[in-house]
Formats: sequence, structure tokens, C-alpha cells
Amino acid sequence: MTKSYDLARIITGCKGGDAQCYSQIVDIYSSRCYGYFYRLTGNNDISDELLSELFVKLVEKIGSYKGGSFESWLFKIASNIFHDHLRSKQRRKKLLETQKTELESEKIEPKKSGGELTDKLQIQLGRLDEDTRELIMLRFYSQLSFKEIAQMRSEPIGTTLAKTHRALKKLRELV
Amino acid sequence: MKDQENLRELFGKFFDDEQAARYVEDIQKAEQIFREYPAPEPDDMLIANIKAEIAMRLQAKRAHHFRRIFYEVVGAAAAIIFVAAISLQLFKQAPPTDREVNHASLIPTAIWETDDITTTDEDLAVFKAQIEQIEDEVIALQSGEDTVNGDSTLVELEVELIEINSDFWKG
Repeated sequence: MTKSYDLARIITGCKGGDAQCYSQIVDIYSSRCYGYFYRLTGNNDISDELLSELFVKLVEKIGSYKGGSFESWLFKIASNIFHDHLRSKQRRKKLLETQKTELESEKIEPKKSGGELTDKLQIQLGRLDEDTRELIMLRFYSQLSFKEIAQMRSEPIGTTLAKTHRALKKLRELV
Repeated sequence: MKDQENLRELFGKFFDDEQAARYVEDIQKAEQIFREYPAPEPDDMLIANIKAEIAMRLQAKRAHHFRRIFYEVVGAAAAIIFVAAISLQLFKQAPPTDREVNHASLIPTAIWETDDITTTDEDLAVFKAQIEQIEDEVIALQSGEDTVNGDSTLVELEVELIEINSDFWKG
């Protein structure tokens, strides 16, 4: 109750343009959002970019938040940003395909980034299809309930449950 | 929120008890893997940069907001001035008021109703009378009614006529 009250106060402050409240939002959500982007892209630099973009978007769009689950709203923006990134990557890939670049491997296979080896989980996540991977990331990093995830993805909750179960079971077997 | 939902109950709506229990266990174990392999944390420098960027955006947003208010006020003022100017123009072009009609009625109606402007101007009337008188005299002289100072009288009359004529044109 206290947490939700505080969050409501912080969001109100954000709507009023209070930089301190935005700072608090960044402190609360940066870790989870970064994890979400990192697990989807497997790349630190891209995750940095996407995280920055997310909070810039937050400033621009905070007026459109009309209550309800803030996490759901925030991760919807995060998901859109990730999809925009995928689309722009696809466009770049098409352009570079003629030059026989290896962008394809960057998309699926995790690789070294920021001087550190990607972990075993990241390698296995790279073997899942994008949709499934995103579903699992939403479940784990957004902390949303299955009902909220289903609403966000505009699909029946039964479908979300079945997909998540299948994906997590597969991931467990792989790891 | 995730921690408030009862997975067993949720899966129980779609699967039988045994299946639901197994599914919930699968999900919990898979989620355990994520806890064992935490994703890297964002760099402190990145967070500081994000906060700085947000502060900058907020300032720009505020400036933009004030600028918009200013433009709105200026726009509204311009609209009011424009409407006032148009209204003033329309007011000026409106049909004459009673007062203007009264002013117009001070001009004698006769001046508009006759071609003989001497009826409205005293000076003209005097000139006209003098000219008529001289003409009569000239006619009388020519017909031989006045023979005493015949020629000189005729010249005097003609001079007088020319003077009157020139006085008339001088106003």
C-alpha cells in the first residue's frame, strides 16, 4: 500500500515536471528495464541506448498515463522501443546484406559485449524466437501478472499462460 | 502484480489440477534460473547521463510550455484587435444615424430641387437682377427709347456689364 502510494506521488510529481521524481523513477526501474533490454538484445551498448530512449520517452509521454498499472504502461513503451529497434535493425540488415555482413548472428546469437562474456542463460535465450523471448522477459523483469501481460499483448490469458509455460520449460531444459 | 497472483488457481482455470501443479512448478523453476543468472546492472555513468538528459528535457519542455502560452496570449490579443478593427470599420459603414440626417436636412431642400441656383444665393440674385436691368436698358437704348446721351450711355452700360461679369467670376 505504502509502495503504491509513493509511486502515485512520484508519478504525480513527474506529471508536474519535477526532475527529482523522474530521478526516483529512474532509480526504481532502471535495473529491471536494463535487464529486460539486455536479455532481449544480448548487447550492453544497445541496452544503454534503449534504456536512455525509454526514459526520454517517459518524459514525453507521462501525460498519457491515465492510471492503472504503471509497470504495464512503462513496459509497453519499453516493448515498443525494442520493436522499433528490431525494425531499424532489419532495415539496416537489408542494406548491408549486399555487403555480406554478419548482422544476422548479432540478432540471435549472444556475443561478447562491453568486455564481458555473456552468460549461459543469454546463450540459451538467443535460441528462442523473439516473441517467446519477449514474453519471458516481460514476465520476469516487468513483474507483471499473467493477466496484465495478456492485456498488454492483446491476447487471451490462456494463450499467454500456455506460451509462457512452453517457453520456460524449454529454457529450463536448455539451461 | 506478479506477486499478488495465485498461479495455481490461475492455471487451474485452464488445466486439470495435476497439470496445473506441474506447470506452476515449471514456471517457478525457470524463474529461479533468472535469479541465478542476473542480467548486468546499468552503469552508474549511464544512469547519471539519463538523469541529466531528463533534467535538460524538462527545462526545454518548460520553456516550450511558456512559449506556447505566450504565443496563445499574443494570438488571442491579435484576434481581439482584428475583430475590434473590423467592427469599427463596419460601424463606420453603417447607415447614417438620425443625427447625420438632421445635419443633412439643414441644407435647404430647394437647392436640390431647382436648376436655378440664384434662388438659394443672395449675391447671385443681386447680380442676376442687375444684369436683367442692364439688359433692359440696353434694349431700350437700341430701340431708341433713350436718345439723350445715346452713345455714351450705351458704352457705360457695356462697361458696367463687363465689371459685373468679372466680379461674378472672381466671386
